[in-house]
Amino acid sequence: MTKNIIPVGPQHPLLKEPISVNIEVSGEDVLGGSLRIGYVHRGIERLAQERTYVQNVHLIERICGICSHVHTTTYCYAVEALLGIEIPPKAQYIRALMCELERIHSHLLWIGILAKHIGLEMVFMHSWHNREVVLDIMEELSGGRVSHAANLIGGVRFDMDAEHDQMVRRQLRKLEDQLFGVLDAISTDTTIKARTKGVAPITAEQIRQYCVVGPVARASGVDVDMRRDNPLPPYDKLDFNVVTYPDGDAWARTIVRVDETRESLKLCEKILDQMPEGPVTTRARRKVPAGETVIRSEAPRGEVFYYLRSDGSEYPARLKIRTPTLAALSLMPVQLSEIRVADIPVVLAGIDLCIACADR
Amino acid sequence: MTEVDLLTRLKEVAGESVARIEPINRETVYALPVEKWLNVVAVLTGELGIRHLSAITAQQRDASQGEIEVMVHFWQGRGITFVLTLPGDHPEIPSITAIIPGADFYEREAAEMFGINFTGREATPHLLLPDDWDQAPPFTGRITHD
Repeated sequence: MTKNIIPVGPQHPLLKEPISVNIEVSGEDVLGGSLRIGYVHRGIERLAQERTYVQNVHLIERICGICSHVHTTTYCYAVEALLGIEIPPKAQYIRALMCELERIHSHLLWIGILAKHIGLEMVFMHSWHNREVVLDIMEELSGGRVSHAANLIGGVRFDMDAEHDQMVRRQLRKLEDQLFGVLDAISTDTTIKARTKGVAPITAEQIRQYCVVGPVARASGVDVDMRRDNPLPPYDKLDFNVVTYPDGDAWARTIVRVDETRESLKLCEKILDQMPEGPVTTRARRKVPAGETVIRSEAPRGEVFYYLRSDGSEYPARLKIRTPTLAALSLMPVQLSEIRVADIPVVLAGIDLCIACADR
Repeated sequence: MTEVDLLTRLKEVAGESVARIEPINRETVYALPVEKWLNVVAVLTGELGIRHLSAITAQQRDASQGEIEVMVHFWQGRGITFVLTLPGDHPEIPSITAIIPGADFYEREAAEMFGINFTGREATPHLLLPDDWDQAPPFTGRITHD
């Protein structure tokens, strides 16, 4: 049978961000694939060395248009570790609240994309409609829908009073009313099952070989979550379930995110219930003492890794950022085999690619 | 396995020059000789079950000396980092992709950004830089501040 290459990207209707995937096919069978990234490489690690720690908060926010908050949170905790300061408890809880809202927003965005790829326009509409509620909450709190600029070195930029608390609770209840029916429908829908069950399974051994993290790992039964395994405050004081499924197929990757969305909604309520009173910032010096630190946190797509070294000046001497998509992408050529051409969108979407994160 | 047990095992594999150095935050850090790097990774991933590679950080700690430091960060319930120092004029280190396929992207990034030569693997095509990038590796130049 003749072999052909289907080039997908770097610009393609299937993709939200630029990546080039060459897929080798023979008839309807996919034989393999290769990929090329770097189309949105901005050199952020290098740029960070030319900017002050304070300026870098704004630079880091722009790594990603979806999980911008977890990046600045991880960066700020790293700088604060070198400064030897602890931010006020209320600021920790506000950071965590924004992280969980961001996780819900990211997962709903992904569920919508998956639904669109398999032709379920209605689920796409409902999912993105509900995502707007989360964006409204974040906009109301911070002023920004996706770039929230919530973090400062030494705390957060905004406070939350009783009115904010009521607003968030009201919106979360609205979201639960609207969303849970959709999530139930996704979990039981025969079309979604038909398109995802048994498709492109990833074994736990492959997850370990390729060092994959986050929901993709948890959907293959690998029980990892940095919020529990290496908690930044206040996750050590919060009780939540880490969702895992053993199946490893596209179905499991879908249901893990559906269940994590529910868990994050519950977690938001717990964060609000435990929200302490007090200030939301503490003083932080501009010059950071010489030293180095590593901070790991859990982004919507998995473990985010930051290494930061200071030489005692106002400028970082080295900032290393490893995003979860980069780990998942290395597995993609493996996934692009023993599937059918019709499964390609489900496989490409299933990993929940964030190319801006991977490219930095 | 405790930090002391790990150090003892590392010394058995890579010689007495292995040293536990200042921890980074809560992560334990070991300095290793480059020539024993593959043996160490084989023991880590096999016998010790330390398999999750979080990242590879390359850096020039002191630009005047020119040495390039490669930090390899693992996670196994806690952070474990290995530090390998390469000469600036000939930075070369064995590739670990045959043992940890997930290291491929990290090695390619370190290769293009710092000019490190990873031996024992196929070519390291650019990961992030354009194919026709013909300038010096971006991290080897002088850093200027605004």
